[in-house]
Amino acid sequence: MNGETVARLFGGGAFLQVVHRAWWWLRQVSGDAAYENYLRRVATARPAGGSCPHGAGGVLTREEFFLDALRRRYSGVSRCC
Amino acid sequence: MKKLLTILAWTAISLAGAGGLAAIAFERGEPLGATWFIVAAACTYLVAYRFYSAFISAKVLALDNSRATPAERLDDGRDFVPTNKWVLMGHHFAAIAGPGPLVGPTLAAQFGYLPGTLWIIVGAVLGGCVQDFVILFLSIRRNGKSLGQMAREEVSRRGGMIALLAVLAIMVILLAVVGLVIVNALKSSPWGTFTLAMTIPIAMLMGVYMRYWRPGRVLEASAIGFALIIFALVAGQWVAEAPGWARVFTLSGPALAAAIILYGFAASALPVWLLLAPRDYLSAFIKVGVVFALAAGILLVRPTIQMPALTRFIDGTGPVFAGTIFPFCFITIACGAVSGFHALISSGTTPKMITCEGHARLVGYGSMLMESFVAVMAMVAACALAPGVYFAINSPAGIVGASPEAAAATISSWGYAVEAQTMTQLARQVGEETLLNRTGGAPSLAVGMAQIFSSTIGGPRLLGIWYHFAIMFEALFILTVLDAGTRVGRFMVQELLGHVWKPMARTGWYPSILASSALIVAAWGYFLFQGVLDPLGGINSLWPLFGIANQLLATVALVVATTILIKMKQLRWVWVTLVPMVWLVTITMTASFQKIFHANPRIGFLAQARVLREQIASGAVATNLIGVTERLIFNNLLDAVVTALLAGMVIFLLAEALYEWYRILSARKMPALREAPYVATRWAEGD
Repeated sequence: MNGETVARLFGGGAFLQVVHRAWWWLRQVSGDAAYENYLRRVATARPAGGSCPHGAGGVLTREEFFLDALRRRYSGVSRCC
Repeated sequence: MKKLLTILAWTAISLAGAGGLAAIAFERGEPLGATWFIVAAACTYLVAYRFYSAFISAKVLALDNSRATPAERLDDGRDFVPTNKWVLMGHHFAAIAGPGPLVGPTLAAQFGYLPGTLWIIVGAVLGGCVQDFVILFLSIRRNGKSLGQMAREEVSRRGGMIALLAVLAIMVILLAVVGLVIVNALKSSPWGTFTLAMTIPIAMLMGVYMRYWRPGRVLEASAIGFALIIFALVAGQWVAEAPGWARVFTLSGPALAAAIILYGFAASALPVWLLLAPRDYLSAFIKVGVVFALAAGILLVRPTIQMPALTRFIDGTGPVFAGTIFPFCFITIACGAVSGFHALISSGTTPKMITCEGHARLVGYGSMLMESFVAVMAMVAACALAPGVYFAINSPAGIVGASPEAAAATISSWGYAVEAQTMTQLARQVGEETLLNRTGGAPSLAVGMAQIFSSTIGGPRLLGIWYHFAIMFEALFILTVLDAGTRVGRFMVQELLGHVWKPMARTGWYPSILASSALIVAAWGYFLFQGVLDPLGGINSLWPLFGIANQLLATVALVVATTILIKMKQLRWVWVTLVPMVWLVTITMTASFQKIFHANPRIGFLAQARVLREQIASGAVATNLIGVTERLIFNNLLDAVVTALLAGMVIFLLAEALYEWYRILSARKMPALREAPYVATRWAEGD
């Protein structure tokens, strides 16, 4: 479910804005949107600098990206007491 | 006009905060409403955030929004990612929030509501938030370097080593003590044990879902996981009521400890996507949900605080843990006010994701304010219980007696009336066999939360469900710390062993994974077993040890911060980190000294060892128990050595820092800051 779907479900107005924003925030914080962010970044960063961090391997798939993100997240202190 | 309104609004907030604090501090004799706690805390936080953190941003650190952050300069779409400040605050809060601020205040409630509440609020505003904020800023200026690296480069080479050892020590003690909290919460509780056991297959199912079926769909998987957990919670009652099944899930302390140790090993050695990550998602969502629900519940129900402002146990004779209000109230609260552990997050992933320096104020200072608020709510939940009930749940059998009648008589003789029948009835209402001698804080917090929640939804009929929901929430949370911590500990052990034998440092090499996992699990497992077998309840010796270790790490962080402020020639404002540092050194040193040398055997490890030795010598110990007693003696000596090592590290680091400060201030050494050079941002300014 993306922002537009939410918009269709809840109609217009200020309330919609709040719901839309909250949903966006939730997806960002939880990492649900991480892959889309990554794709958007790859699309914009490539032609400009050509400094693709992933070498010749090209764009990661959703699954590869997810596993890579987990590996990095849990190789350092990720949780407190 | 607008300015006038702003001034009026802030005056009103300040007055409300002062009024709330005054009500808490001076209200005597009349029942005190929990709303005062919320008002006092929230208004103090608002004022502190608006003024104190603004002052630190502008004067002390001189945050510069024109300076490009590492996220902008090094943006790689993976580690360094410019992130919206509210999103980053969510990330940061989810990472720093742990079981500490729930357990610590619950235990410290034995002194009464006043000392703990004041320290949670004041300690956070002047200490914990400052530490998190300053360390975050320093790490941003150094391309996201870790606390250990900053200690090494800015204080002394050995400073870095101390930080590493401190982290490892905290990790071991922390994992043991939170493991002990779970054991005490689930001991002979088939309902709780079943629900928590079910979270393992549920997490694995989520893991497979996110890995193979719908890669990376975190929210979908979490929603499914949450629904299944609620089902497991309800099913727990059926299990508890079916004698055959209940027997399977009724475990003794040592059996539960063994299960948790085995679980820790598995979680450290298995791939993260299978167990660790999905559990982490689930517990983060439930945590945030519970925090909001608890705040709403307290505001709706407005429970009356039943605990007195101060109890007689400020003299150090408390049944929950022994020791006088100074220093043990501060040591016990730990994470709710100041947590050294946060400095690791503030110098971990967060500095690499910050978009501009100004955001560090919200992310660093603001997140810790929220954490402190969680601690205030835990204090309210504990103090809303009748004091007699609170002490009956939290006192170990070795002190109040094992039978309900004996415990009720002892506690009533202290002046906190409670009847054996009340406890039996309460236990039946929440679906437990007994609520007596359930040390560790989790069961009493769960009873407190269940009373608040059931007054909102469901009434007494749902008390059992709410109680076990709270237990499940705490245990789920603790298991997350346990598996993530074991894994990090494993990496540290691998790094250390790698210095001795190269192949051990290869994080993907299975023999190394298994050996280092076993080593770290054995380390905390030993302390966990020690706590389970301790006749005084274990929490009494382990929680202060954890508090000392945690505050020690905070001291390391504040020493690093103060040193850098001196190098930045901010001498005028150096008190901002120096004062909390001196305070933390004072409490950790006093607490360490007392835990080792105090003449009272319930406080001093050496005194306890001596008493046990005398018991053996005088023949007071039955022959078949001599072996057990000797092990208790050894454990006390071990705890004394560990405490001494921790205190020794603080003294050593302080000496190094003081020497460094002396050389800089007397112009014997040019201060060399290791900041990344200034690069102007290419983004338009503004949030």
